[in-house]
Amino acid sequence: MKTKNKPPMKTTEELMREIPESDIWTYRIEGLQEPQINRDHSHSAGKKAATVISLLVAISLSIFFSVRAVHTKTYKFGENDDGTYELIKFSNPGNMSGIDIDFANGDETKPITVIHEYAFNCDDKLETIRIGKDVKEIDGKSFYSCEKLQAFSVDENNEYFCDLDGVLYTKDLSEVICYPIGRDQYLRDKFGYEKELTNEDDGYEAYEKDVLTYRLPEQVKKIGKLSFNYAKIADIYLPEGLETIETMAFFKSVTLKNVITVGKDGEYPSLPEGLLYIGSDAFSYDQGLGYVYIPSSVTFIGHHAFWDTVYKQSGELAGVTAICVAADKDTFKEQVHTGDQWKPEYDYMLFKKAVEVLYSSERESS
Amino acid sequence: MAKGLSGKVKALFTEIKTHWRTPAEGKFVPYREYKDILIAVGSNYTAAKTLEFITFAASCYLMMYHYKLPYLTFSVINIINMPLGYIWTLVTWLVADNLGFLAKKTERKIFTLYFSLIAIGLLLIIGNVTALFDPSNRFVVYMNSLEGISCASAFKIFGTHLLYTGWAGARSIFWKKKLIPKYGRYKYSLYSDFIPKCIMVVLIGWLPFYKIDDVVTRVWVANLMFAVYNVFGFDNHLEICTRNISPNVRERILVRSYPIKLSHIFHSILAIILPVIIGALRYEWADINVFRFVIPITFITSAVLTMVFAGRIRERIPQPPIDKKVQIRFWDGIFGVMRNKYKWVLTIVNLLDSLGNGMLPFVTILYLYTFRLSGLLYSLIVALVSFAGTPPDLFAPYFIKRFTYKQLMIFYQMSRAIGNTVIVLSLLFLGDRLILCGTICVITLFLLEVCKTVPATASYDMEVRINDYQMYLSGERLESFSGVFGWFTGPITSFVGLIIPLLLLRFGFNSNWDVLFIDESRIKIIVIPIIIDIAGYILMTIPYLFWDYTDEKQSKVIAVLRRREEVTKALDENISEKETEDEREKAEVMTE
Repeated sequence: MKTKNKPPMKTTEELMREIPESDIWTYRIEGLQEPQINRDHSHSAGKKAATVISLLVAISLSIFFSVRAVHTKTYKFGENDDGTYELIKFSNPGNMSGIDIDFANGDETKPITVIHEYAFNCDDKLETIRIGKDVKEIDGKSFYSCEKLQAFSVDENNEYFCDLDGVLYTKDLSEVICYPIGRDQYLRDKFGYEKELTNEDDGYEAYEKDVLTYRLPEQVKKIGKLSFNYAKIADIYLPEGLETIETMAFFKSVTLKNVITVGKDGEYPSLPEGLLYIGSDAFSYDQGLGYVYIPSSVTFIGHHAFWDTVYKQSGELAGVTAICVAADKDTFKEQVHTGDQWKPEYDYMLFKKAVEVLYSSERESS
Repeated sequence: MAKGLSGKVKALFTEIKTHWRTPAEGKFVPYREYKDILIAVGSNYTAAKTLEFITFAASCYLMMYHYKLPYLTFSVINIINMPLGYIWTLVTWLVADNLGFLAKKTERKIFTLYFSLIAIGLLLIIGNVTALFDPSNRFVVYMNSLEGISCASAFKIFGTHLLYTGWAGARSIFWKKKLIPKYGRYKYSLYSDFIPKCIMVVLIGWLPFYKIDDVVTRVWVANLMFAVYNVFGFDNHLEICTRNISPNVRERILVRSYPIKLSHIFHSILAIILPVIIGALRYEWADINVFRFVIPITFITSAVLTMVFAGRIRERIPQPPIDKKVQIRFWDGIFGVMRNKYKWVLTIVNLLDSLGNGMLPFVTILYLYTFRLSGLLYSLIVALVSFAGTPPDLFAPYFIKRFTYKQLMIFYQMSRAIGNTVIVLSLLFLGDRLILCGTICVITLFLLEVCKTVPATASYDMEVRINDYQMYLSGERLESFSGVFGWFTGPITSFVGLIIPLLLLRFGFNSNWDVLFIDESRIKIIVIPIIIDIAGYILMTIPYLFWDYTDEKQSKVIAVLRRREEVTKALDENISEKETEDEREKAEVMTE
């Protein structure tokens, strides 16, 4: 076998000795380009012009396309297969506090029937939204994080949706779709409160009842996705027929203190008997909550359903410090599908520890 | 064997003791400087890493939880600032590559420009230019339609850009002239920026601008605040300085692989402690006290340590004395860097890398929104993943010797493509099984970090080599003029960088990061940009196929540079001797 002997590499000193003193600025290394130091570029007008022109073209094209890309029209619609329209995106020009969702571009031959997810994402100006008679599909995320939104009104001829004092429901009231985040402002105006009250202010009890309390109608079977997220409510009354609390239904409703069920035989605390489904993040970050009771009817609890509802205050645990479960441990494990980290966790010895689950619990009396 | 080992330890100890103050033959760095590098670079790295918590970007926790600015606004501000940015960079390069030493006339002109920019900038910020416009004008209507911006605020943002450019530019000339002769070109700015940066880091958490109700006002005020904050830097200059610590390539890699790598332990320890402290706060990362106390205290402590130990760390580029250095004219600089083939290759690689621009920090999302990590567990996982890079780095000299730069970089890009594909698949198919999906992602991130370290070290070294080659070509390193490549790529990257933010907006991501708690939205927001990124990684292997800068070529380049230094210094000494002789003769004549 032939081996190829590479000549040993010269040292830097050896290489240096090969460079004549007069050639230090022009000496060319084999395989590399020749140095060009202090070279006169007066004859390179063509090259300079080409550089400048190509740059100008690149910059102009970039600005043109970028400006087009970031420009957002106030309304963006899409046409559905049946010739009706979908409201895909609303971008508030900065001065609109109310909007009617009825026809695309105001053309009565183009009814809007669908409101796309995130159509009103993070709008911080809209206060009222009127939903026209033809709308039949609304995604739970359509009005995500509209902080100033006070009330919905739905055309009374709409066959699919209705509103109850500004809250959006399906027509048969079986599902609550959206409780506006800024509804407390609407209620303050309605009941004549000039400002938000805290529990240290006089008249707070009445304020809490008028502004921070909400009763779901008895027909409601389902609390929709994100329907009460960020809602400023302290007490929520759920009907006993409720079956589903969807994903993130009460996410970051940080003022929520009491969940009360209205049954045939009167009121009782926490979730209703007959409830089947608690979605993921359903009550996440609701640190105002204290008592949670899972009735024996529940078969599904999503991941992080009660995440961050417990915390430490002056070294003591506060919030949801334990979860009470009607079923015994074995039945619960067999019957209920639980997602990861469904129980609240608190800081414990530099790590996190889940709160205790009290199986076979009796429900607290109201 | 034990005897052999103890003998080696003893020999090492003697070697360190002998060359504590003076370097060994053929080497340039004494061991005392290794000790300084360990502490100073460690502190500087920690300080710079701490500053990464404070950026004018959507991914900054201050923006995420307190300022809550619309995501697209950051891109819009970039577009407003982009056109004039090209002009300012011309002046910046001229100043930087001449190390602040300009002809008197040029200097006067540049100062006039900078002070005018400051004045115009202040006028635009304070005044209301839109009062001059018709509100129904198309331009005004267009500007008002932009996310988080109005016509009036756009002028203030533009004014902020002018103010920043003028202020930073004038400061740069002043401090370069004053400090570079004393501290060198890499670490001088630490001395000018240390105090103002500390003040700004404290102010940024305490100024209550995030409470401004109107989002448009909040945007321009935040932009102004960050512009002032960014006038002062505190980057990891000492580490850059150490990349040029020796003309001896092996010694450079040795410094990079041992004292530098060990110095990063400071930050690794802090990366464990900091989340534990933050986890103990009432609202964890969303707590404003993170920015009022935790970040400022960490930064100031690290910055003080940096300044105490920075003194003895020196750059040792073979170069003529500053007053004899080659003067770079504008077109010389431009054409000089454009002749460097290797810079073109790297430019194309960076251009392809920009395909992922605008994506959200995937790892942060994974830890905070998928795993809901905080406290010590968060620290341990972050530390585990970041530590993954340390062991391979200790073997970096071996890998760099054994494999070519081309091989290492192609391996790196392919490993990124494969790793990210695994992450995408686990998110798509195991997204609802959080623990399993998260575990696969963390293991993949760990392996990606392992694969990243050696190519990263090779890249740092290659960057210095390419600058050596540039010095051979043009007589100067032209590091700032290398920005000319950004002229060509900038327009493309800024447009390409809009693709992901616009997609994210469609998937529901705007100013409220809580949308990432919605499983189906989070998966779309993460997965689609990663797929675009994977395409970029695969394409990035192609330019590296044209890389042919070998060790042999580098040795020859260094020989040329050292020869130039030798000859110019000798000439300099001859001239000085001659001048002294002439002066002596003159004095004798006078006496007579």
